[in-house]
Amino acid sequence: MNRLTSTLLATTVLTSVAGAAAAQDQLNALVWCDHMDPELIAPFEAAHNVTVNLREYEGTGAALALLEQSRPGDWDVLVIDGIDVFRAVEAGILAPLPADELPTADFFPEVVMDEVNTIDGVTYAVTEKFGYNTISYNSANVDPADMETLATVWSEKYDGRISIYDYYLPVMGLAALSEGIATADISADNLDALGGVMTTMRSRAASVAGVVAAQTALATGEVDIVVGGGEWLTAVLAAEQPELTWTIPSEGAVRWTQSLGVVEGSANPELALEFVKYIVSPEGQARLATSSCFWGMPANAAAGDFLSDEQKAVLRWDDQPDYLARTQLYPAPDDALDVAMQDLWLDTLAQ
Amino acid sequence: MIATGQRAKGWGFVAPALIWTLAFFIVPFIVMGAMSLATLDGRNLIWGVSFDNYASLAERRFLWRAIVVSLEITVTVTVVSVLLAYPLAWIIAFNVPARWQRLALLLAILPFWTSYVVRSYAWLLVLAREGVVNQTLMTIGLIAEPLTLANTRFATVTGFVHFFVMLLTLTIYANLVQLSPNYRRAAQDLGANAFQTFRHVILPLTLPGIVTGAFLTFVLCIGDYVTPQILGGNTELTVPQVIMVQLGRRADFPLAAALAIVLMGIVTLAYLAAARWLRLDRL
Amino acid sequence: MMRVLPWVYLAAAFVFIYLPVGTLVLFSFQDGRLPVPPFNGPSLRWYGDVLGDARLMAALVNSVGVAFVSSTIAVTLGFLAAYGLARHHLPGSALVRGLLIAPLTVSYLIVGLGLLIVLTQTGFGLSLVTAGIGHVVINLPLAFAIIYAAMGAQQQNAERAARDLGATEARVILLVTVPMLAPAIGAAFFLSMTFSWDEFIIAFLLTRFDVTLPVEIWSLLRSGLSPRLNAIGSLVFLISVAFVLLLELLILRKRK
Repeated sequence: MNRLTSTLLATTVLTSVAGAAAAQDQLNALVWCDHMDPELIAPFEAAHNVTVNLREYEGTGAALALLEQSRPGDWDVLVIDGIDVFRAVEAGILAPLPADELPTADFFPEVVMDEVNTIDGVTYAVTEKFGYNTISYNSANVDPADMETLATVWSEKYDGRISIYDYYLPVMGLAALSEGIATADISADNLDALGGVMTTMRSRAASVAGVVAAQTALATGEVDIVVGGGEWLTAVLAAEQPELTWTIPSEGAVRWTQSLGVVEGSANPELALEFVKYIVSPEGQARLATSSCFWGMPANAAAGDFLSDEQKAVLRWDDQPDYLARTQLYPAPDDALDVAMQDLWLDTLAQ
Repeated sequence: MIATGQRAKGWGFVAPALIWTLAFFIVPFIVMGAMSLATLDGRNLIWGVSFDNYASLAERRFLWRAIVVSLEITVTVTVVSVLLAYPLAWIIAFNVPARWQRLALLLAILPFWTSYVVRSYAWLLVLAREGVVNQTLMTIGLIAEPLTLANTRFATVTGFVHFFVMLLTLTIYANLVQLSPNYRRAAQDLGANAFQTFRHVILPLTLPGIVTGAFLTFVLCIGDYVTPQILGGNTELTVPQVIMVQLGRRADFPLAAALAIVLMGIVTLAYLAAARWLRLDRL
Repeated sequence: MMRVLPWVYLAAAFVFIYLPVGTLVLFSFQDGRLPVPPFNGPSLRWYGDVLGDARLMAALVNSVGVAFVSSTIAVTLGFLAAYGLARHHLPGSALVRGLLIAPLTVSYLIVGLGLLIVLTQTGFGLSLVTAGIGHVVINLPLAFAIIYAAMGAQQQNAERAARDLGATEARVILLVTVPMLAPAIGAAFFLSMTFSWDEFIIAFLLTRFDVTLPVEIWSLLRSGLSPRLNAIGSLVFLISVAFVLLLELLILRKRK
C-alpha cells in the first residue's frame, strides 16, 4: 500500500512538473529552432493571452511520424521544409489555409511558391523564410575569385581546407549545379554524375560538419571554406570576424525555404491561423528573420520596414533580386529518389 | 503453508521492479524486434516478417561500414582506456600517501560531473586548429604547423577515452585497494620480482574488476551518439549516428530497429566473451 | 628516475583530465562572441545571459525534477526487489536477478528507441514523464545491484531480533533494514541522480515541449557556436562539484 501510494505520488509530481503551465489557452507548435526565440513568440503570447508550446525537430520524417501518431488536437501549427509540404499534405497532416487572408501579395514573388504550398488549388502552407545554401569562406585565406566557380572551390588548391555542411539535399543540389544539372532535374539517371562530384568534394574535405562544428572550424581557421554554408552560417560570426563571408558562384546556388501551416484537427484552428498570420506579418517576419538561432530572409518584403540598415546589410537585402534570379530551389525528390540520394550521400561520406 | 505464504510475500517485494522492467524494457525490446522485421512502403509501416532490413546491411555499403567503424572505435577506446587507467589507479592506490588517496581519486574523477554533451563540445575547442593543444605543441616547438585534430576519429577516441579513464580509474582503484598487501609480500618472499608479482598475482586478482569496467566501457561506447556526432566530423559514421539519421529524415523505424538489434547482438557477443570474469551483480 | 615516473604520469593524467574542463571554464569568461582564442576578458556577460534565459532555467528545473523523482522510484523499486530476493528464497531467483540487471548491458539509445516505438505505436504522448520512465529503466539495475550487494547477514540478524520482538515486516524494513542500509541506498540514489540529470539520448527521444537540460544544451549546440555554451557548461559543473564536495564532507567523511 505504502509503496503504491508513494509511486503514485511520485508519478503525480512528475506529471505536475510537466503540466505546470496548463492554465492558459495553449498553442502547440512543431517548429525549427528559429521559432524558439522569445523575442518572436512573446509578443504573440501577450497579444492573445495564450501560451505557445514549442518543440523543435530534426528531419521531416521524424516530424511527420510524430504528427501521424499523435491524437487529433495534439498539435496546432507546423513549420516544415518547403519541399516537404506535399509529404505532409499527402499524409493528411495539414489543414487548408484561407489564401486570401495571407499577405502573399507583399512577398518576394519567387518565394510565394504556389507549386509547393498549394496542391490541387488548395493552399496548405505559406512560405515564411528563405535563404541560400552556397559557399561560405574566409576571405583572408582564399582568393575570392576562386569562390565564383564551384569547380575551383573543391579543387586541389584548397585540399583539406574545406568542410561540407552535413545535409545531403543542399550539398547534392550544389553538386548537380556544378555539373550543369538543374536541381529539379536530379533523377536516378544522373546520380552517378553527382556521386563523382561528391567523391571529389569529400576527398578535398577535412570534415562533414553540423552548424556548430562548421562555425568552429571556420572561426578557428580549421577550414577556410564551408560548402553548403550561407548567411545562416556566417551571420553570427561576421560581427567579430568580418573576413568570414559568403557568395553565390556563377553556376548558382541552392535556395532553401521553410513553410508554415495549420495542423489538421487542431483543437484551436482560429488561434492557429492567427499565429500563422502573425508570423507572416511584417513585424513577425522581421523578428523571424533575425531570430537568435539563425538569420534568413523574410518571405514578406514588407518586413524591410521593420529591419535596421545594419540588419539589412547582413541579410544582403539589396542583392536579393539578383540572388533570387540566380538560385534554384532545393532538390525535392520523391520517396524512392530520396532514399537513393541519402544512400549515395552516406556511401560517399562513409568511405 | 508458511513457506508458500512467505514465498508470495517475497514475490510481492520483487514484483514492482520486475513489472517495471518487463513493461518498459522487455516489452519494448520485443516490439523493437518485431519492428525490425517490418518494412516501410513509402511512409507507411507494414508489419510482417521480412528480413529485408537485415539483408540491406549487406547491400547498403554504409550500413556495413558503420558497424566496422563502431567496432574499431569501441575496441580502440576500451583498450586505450584500460591501459591508461590502470597505471593511474595503481599510482593512486600505491604511490600516493594513504591520507591523500581520497582526495587524489576525487580530483581524478571530478570532471566526470561536467555535462556529457558539453564535455564533447569542450574537446572540440581544445582540439581546434587554434586550440590549446596545437598552441602548446607549437610553442614548445614540437610542430611547425597546427595539426588537424578536431573532426577526426582521433577526436572521437580522445573524447571517449577521457570519459572512460575516469570511470575505469574508479573501478580499478576499488579493486586494487581491496587486495591484501600480504599477497604481494608473499609473492616477493617466494622470490618473485616486481613484474612476476604483477603478472601472476595482482593481475589475475584484479582481472574481474578490469573486465567488468571494460565491458561497461564497451557497452556505453558502442551505443553512444553524442561524442562521435560532435567530435567525429561525420567523415565516417557510427551505428548510433546511422540510427539517428534513419529516424530523422525518413522515420525509418524498421531499419533503425534492425540496427539496434545488431548493436545488441554485438554487445551480447562481447558479454559472452567476457562472461567468465564479469561480476555485474556485484559492481 | 623510477621514483619520479609515477608522479610524472599522475601529473600528465591530471592535465589530460582537466584540459577540456579548464578550456570550457576559461572561455566562459570570454568577452566576445566566439569561445576561441585569443582570450579577451574576463567578462561575466555570458553568465548573465544564461541565467536570464527562461528556457534554460526551466530545463534546469525539469532536469532536477526528473532526476529526483525517477531516482526515488528506481531506488525504491530496487530496494524492495533486493530485499525480496535476499530475504526470501524464491525459485528462479537467479533468472530474476539477471532480468533486473539486463538493462545495464543495453545502450541507452536502444532503451530509448524501444520505448519510443512502443509509445508512438500506442499513441501515448511524450513528456517529461516518459523520459522519467526511461530513466528509471536505466537506473533500476544499478540501484538494485548496489543495494543487493550490501545486504548481508548482519542486517538479517537485527531484522530477526526485531521480528522476534513483535515488529511487523513493514516496521522491520522501515526501522531496521533501511537505516542499516542507508549508505548503500544513499549511494544508489546519488548515482541515479547523477546519471538521470546528465542523460541525453533517452530524454531527447522521449520528451516533447518541456525538455531536460542536456536536451536544451543540445539544441543550443545545434544553433551555433557561442560562449553561452561554455557558461551553462561551467555552471552545471560548478553545481555538480559543489554537490559532490558537500556529500563527501557531510556523509562520506562521517562514515569513516
